[in-house]
Amino acid sequence: MAEVAKKEGSTSRDTKTVTLTIDGRSVTVPKGTTVLEAALSVGVQIPTFCWHPKLKSIGACRMCYVEIEKMPKLQVSCATEAADGMIVHTDSDLVKRGRRAVLEFILLNHPLDCPTCDKGGDCDLQNLTFAHGYDDSRFDFQKRRFIEDGVESTFDDLRIGPEIILNRNRCIHCYKCVRANKEAFGEYDLGAFERGNVTEINAAPGQQVDNPFSGNLVEICPVGALTNTDWRYKIRVWLTQTVASVCPYTSSGSNILFFKEKHQNRVYRVTGRRNDDIDDGWLPDITRYGYQIIHSEDRLRTPLIKKEGNQETATWDEALAVIEKRLGEIKDKKGCVCIGGLIDPSLDNATLHSFSKLIRRTLGSNNVDFRIDYRMLPKTSSDNYSILTSRPFRIADIDNSDVIITFGSDLLKEHPNEYLRIRKACNFHDSRVFSLNPYAVKSADVAELELVYGIGADEAIIAALCLAGVEEKLVSIPNPDQLKEATGFALMTEAAAVCGVEPDQIKIVARALAKARKVTLIAGELVTRSRDRENIASALCNLNRVFGIEEKGQIAVLSRYANSMGARKLGVLPDPPAVVKSELTKLWGGWPDTEPRNTDSMLVNMKKEEINGLIVMGADPIMLYPDREFACEGLEKLDFLIVCDLFESETTALADVVLPICSWAEYPGEYVNLEGRVQQANQAIKPLYESRPGYEIVELIADRLGQKLFESDEVRRIEIEKLLEVDNGLSWPDSFVNTGWTNEEHDDEFTVPLAVGDDPHHCGHRTEKASSLVNFCGEAYIEISPGLAANYQIEEGDSVRVESPVGKIIVPVRISDFLDNDVVFIPRNFSSTPVTSLLMRKCRVDRVKISKVVS
Amino acid sequence: MVIEPDGLFYTKVKPKDVSEIIEKTLEKDEIIDRLLYTDPVSCEKEKNYNKIPFYSRQKRIALRNLGKIRPNKIDDYIAGGGYQALARVLTEMSPEEVIKVISKSGLRGRGGGGFQAGRKWQTCRNIESDVHYVICNGDEGDPGAFMDRAIMEGDPHSVLEGIMIAAYAIGAREGYIYVREEYPLAIIHLQKAIDNCEDVGMLGDSILGTEFSFRIRIARGAGAFVCGESSALMKSVAGEVGEPRAKYIRSVVKGFYDKPTVLNNVETFANVPAIISNGADWFKKIGTSKSTGTKAFSLVGKVRNTGLIEVPMGITLREIIYDIGGGILDDRPFKAVQTGGPSGGCLPESKLDLPVDFDTLTEAGSMMGSGGMIVMDDKTCMVDVAKYFLSFLVKESCGKCVPCREGLYQLHALAVKISEGRATEGDLDKMEKLSEVIVRGSLCGLGKSGPNPFLSTVRYFRDEYLAHIRDKRCPAGVCRELIHYEINDKCTGCMACITACAYDAISGKKNELHVIYQDKCTKCGACVAVCNYEAIDVT
Repeated sequence: MAEVAKKEGSTSRDTKTVTLTIDGRSVTVPKGTTVLEAALSVGVQIPTFCWHPKLKSIGACRMCYVEIEKMPKLQVSCATEAADGMIVHTDSDLVKRGRRAVLEFILLNHPLDCPTCDKGGDCDLQNLTFAHGYDDSRFDFQKRRFIEDGVESTFDDLRIGPEIILNRNRCIHCYKCVRANKEAFGEYDLGAFERGNVTEINAAPGQQVDNPFSGNLVEICPVGALTNTDWRYKIRVWLTQTVASVCPYTSSGSNILFFKEKHQNRVYRVTGRRNDDIDDGWLPDITRYGYQIIHSEDRLRTPLIKKEGNQETATWDEALAVIEKRLGEIKDKKGCVCIGGLIDPSLDNATLHSFSKLIRRTLGSNNVDFRIDYRMLPKTSSDNYSILTSRPFRIADIDNSDVIITFGSDLLKEHPNEYLRIRKACNFHDSRVFSLNPYAVKSADVAELELVYGIGADEAIIAALCLAGVEEKLVSIPNPDQLKEATGFALMTEAAAVCGVEPDQIKIVARALAKARKVTLIAGELVTRSRDRENIASALCNLNRVFGIEEKGQIAVLSRYANSMGARKLGVLPDPPAVVKSELTKLWGGWPDTEPRNTDSMLVNMKKEEINGLIVMGADPIMLYPDREFACEGLEKLDFLIVCDLFESETTALADVVLPICSWAEYPGEYVNLEGRVQQANQAIKPLYESRPGYEIVELIADRLGQKLFESDEVRRIEIEKLLEVDNGLSWPDSFVNTGWTNEEHDDEFTVPLAVGDDPHHCGHRTEKASSLVNFCGEAYIEISPGLAANYQIEEGDSVRVESPVGKIIVPVRISDFLDNDVVFIPRNFSSTPVTSLLMRKCRVDRVKISKVVS
Repeated sequence: MVIEPDGLFYTKVKPKDVSEIIEKTLEKDEIIDRLLYTDPVSCEKEKNYNKIPFYSRQKRIALRNLGKIRPNKIDDYIAGGGYQALARVLTEMSPEEVIKVISKSGLRGRGGGGFQAGRKWQTCRNIESDVHYVICNGDEGDPGAFMDRAIMEGDPHSVLEGIMIAAYAIGAREGYIYVREEYPLAIIHLQKAIDNCEDVGMLGDSILGTEFSFRIRIARGAGAFVCGESSALMKSVAGEVGEPRAKYIRSVVKGFYDKPTVLNNVETFANVPAIISNGADWFKKIGTSKSTGTKAFSLVGKVRNTGLIEVPMGITLREIIYDIGGGILDDRPFKAVQTGGPSGGCLPESKLDLPVDFDTLTEAGSMMGSGGMIVMDDKTCMVDVAKYFLSFLVKESCGKCVPCREGLYQLHALAVKISEGRATEGDLDKMEKLSEVIVRGSLCGLGKSGPNPFLSTVRYFRDEYLAHIRDKRCPAGVCRELIHYEINDKCTGCMACITACAYDAISGKKNELHVIYQDKCTKCGACVAVCNYEAIDVT
């Protein structure tokens, strides 16, 4: 409440200002600002319950009364527009009486069970009553009680979702939860029922409050009416200390606060730390509950060494000694080129940079990559793809884009923060949203129009848009014939036919693009994970060229993990862009003269026994690589495998040495979010067990191999700083790029396209260790459209066998109303049901067959 | 029934009288004496309805066609001059001219607020937007009010015509009529009227061959009083929960779907065609200078003649109650008249000579409201009345804002406390302070006027409150906890009350004085109702 406060919706594009007087101070604010925001902007505090900076004002709680001269009654400042010459008093006797009366009213029915209430000490009602209330009530009637099953109790605890517990007696009806759910998240699983004095907040009939943003409802509740099992009855808030950090799951890097208890060395919860440029203060549940992995019982506690086939606990010294010996052997016998390194791109800059230096300088090869879950990476990455990942992009600019296009992205699952931004742009700024997807996704619910094109026809839909622009004379380009040649289509209708989309709909999108004042175009994983991502990137370059998107906005392939952007900028790639390479060469005084090998080619070489040693930092390639069998075969052939991780995994099971790594809460680190913004995650607790931060482990290994990586931490910091400043120097292609497009033949037996991604409550494979997130979703499932389910005569909850040419899994069925074509979706987050076993690295579209399991 | 053109008036006509009327009156011009109206005061028979005060004192504009035309026949409406105003507007007048006429006429919204209709239309027209809406408020939620219902059921076309003229004036292409669910017949008649209009080209594209296109849809309420409030109504039409929103956004600027919207009630729209046809000056001559025209009331309660009336503004309450209403039933003393629905107030005898217009009633602590008028005699307890209306408002409060949700509940609880004789004078003081907070602090009109039933009764009938508090006595003999029934000497021992009592609380033998057992008596009043000898006292 303390900070301000540019209210959504009032960010009017008109720049007129008004000047008013608040408590004797002259304040000038943009027209459309409310009196409350004007007051907050100069540090005048006005108490509120129902007001929220990111929601529309409803003026329900009446706590924010002010007296405005010449107005007959008290005005609610949250719903009164500031006007020229207004004279506002926020602390007059009348105002004080008004506030006192409101507090008295609210306390009439609010139980005074503060000693046992989880919100005690952190409660707006407590604080505001302390500041503005009476110590007595004039009314002595029985408090309103909600009675469940005939039991009258203060503890009216209803579990309304996997994590949320509702106490209706404590509710003061500010409606913030219902409003946030509706306005900010587009969810309708929570509502207000009945009316008047007996109004109650409750889950919608037959529904659970289990949307992926539901944790926010607890955070914004001003009293203890909504609490969650994560924090409830664990600790009193005044015993905790807060530490600012960032989220390691989302690539936008939501800003968070850890609530830790220092003597127990334990984190108790995570809340938002509002940053209007990034997250608006909303956290997705993965961010809020994902911290639980830190204290998971399954954490690796000590180093492990494989002895005669069994992994045994060891000390760091013993483990490092083994590494020194075995890596040295490989290095001496076969050369540096036989050692590779894979690293998780959600690790901090220091770890990424040290790791890259270990591989390049100490071991002397270019076998380093962070792109573990991508298939068929090209030997050398094309500039067209790299440019799309590195153009300036600002999350906050989504707000004022009047046309927003999402291409091949289930944003809700991949980029929850950006999804909320788009929803906000749509609700508060009337932006038009168009969604182009190979299959229907839930995130498209904000879209004015969702074009679902034939799966695998990504280039064709972009070509159709380009051609529509030219054919409809929406844009004029010098050489339309070259465009036709480059796309491989002579007419828009041809391309549209290939996509299976109505030409009229394509024209609507093209027209919006051409007319737009400001555009945001976001391409997501559904296309970037494709085998042909380079081609699709080229198509997007063509689209940018036709409509001049970047000149009036932003176009980007959003990076996926918390520090993918950092990894790219620091050059943790086999062949970083030329400028990055030369900067690194300058810093390190050399560059290994070996062939660059990415994840894909490293696995190929492992299979050929040309790579014998591998260091894996914080990742589980078996779980992530989109061809499980291929990854297993490669890793099994290794002579020596070092894995540093938080938990045991299938990859650690193969390892010769396993080293426990710290989680992001246990050491300070810097992360680069998808905009290129460097954010600091502070250390909240001391390292748990014997774990060590990633960069420290890397430096210990380097020391053993006889090289001190950095003279000091300061040197490392400076190197990183220099690299982050480097502009990668890429520019858009200066003509249309040939994309071409051919339809992929597929087996008649395996016909159903399979989509793989994250469950909305999970990110990667680690969140399985967060018990709250498991409460939302704890096992894999297959999402099937109602039509397809009818074809196979399967119902919700049935088990089905899903088979591809390389593997099979058995999963329960969920029928999804929004899936409207014959695509099925399986989340990749559950190690018990590894969906990657169905995937083949060389396929563009994975196809499966499904059959009902008869028990 | 009235037989035109002479205006011959028969009352209490039964089906069996019809043949007689045809034979005698229609064919032979004879008057059937027994069917004539008898004046309750002078006991004289009157044959012409225009001479009967109930009718002669009225001036019907909004209700002009009621009872004269068949509501389901568009031809009837047209034959009576209907849609002439629309035709004139569409062919001869510009939208600005229409607004000018309405502004000049001084027509104020009949829904309660009394806002100048012309100014509202002008504001709406001036706002640049791709869409404008016009909505007709037919959510007549006040208990005892049925003016709009009568118009919608009896003369739906006049409402449609008014809406269409408004739509033309503000540039709307779409309109809605919000009708409360409790009025099924109104919905049927309006829908039929809309269908008929569409059939003959009065609604739809290019109405009457002009460039004006307009459609009307009916939106049905779901029985919430607060949905009569403009912003709650618009939310309800849009399919959302009917709750008022913050007041600084005016609905005429950002209303339905955030587009400029004109919202007027049924009666206001019904006035519009008449104003266009007869001119602004004609309308201005009726009523007072600040409240022009007429107002319809539903006159109910303890008066002889109840029913729907329409009177020129400025008429006094006394004229309405004693001339039109024919005085109080059984000639009991007049005690109060409640106007303006639940949020209105009660006015005592001293205010009977006030002229009825928007501003005077508000000054006196009541309000015009949509036109309910409930007359009360000395058998009515004002604490009970306040309690009744407060309980209505507590149930109908939407629960959004704190003062209304919590405050009205407490106010009602305190009123109950008084009526049960448990209150102290401090409680009365508390109620007054509480009312001030609710009035000052609530979001919408429901809360702001919510304490009115209490405030106006305590203002004029404080003694009665004090009697409940100090003497634990209900002077009107209504509040159950404070009264008891006793049998006096007039008892003949007829045993009628013993039979009527469901609780065996009366004993006695034939022709002997009966006795009421106070511990068994539930004060239901059944004995009083059957006693023919006024032998039961309520004190």
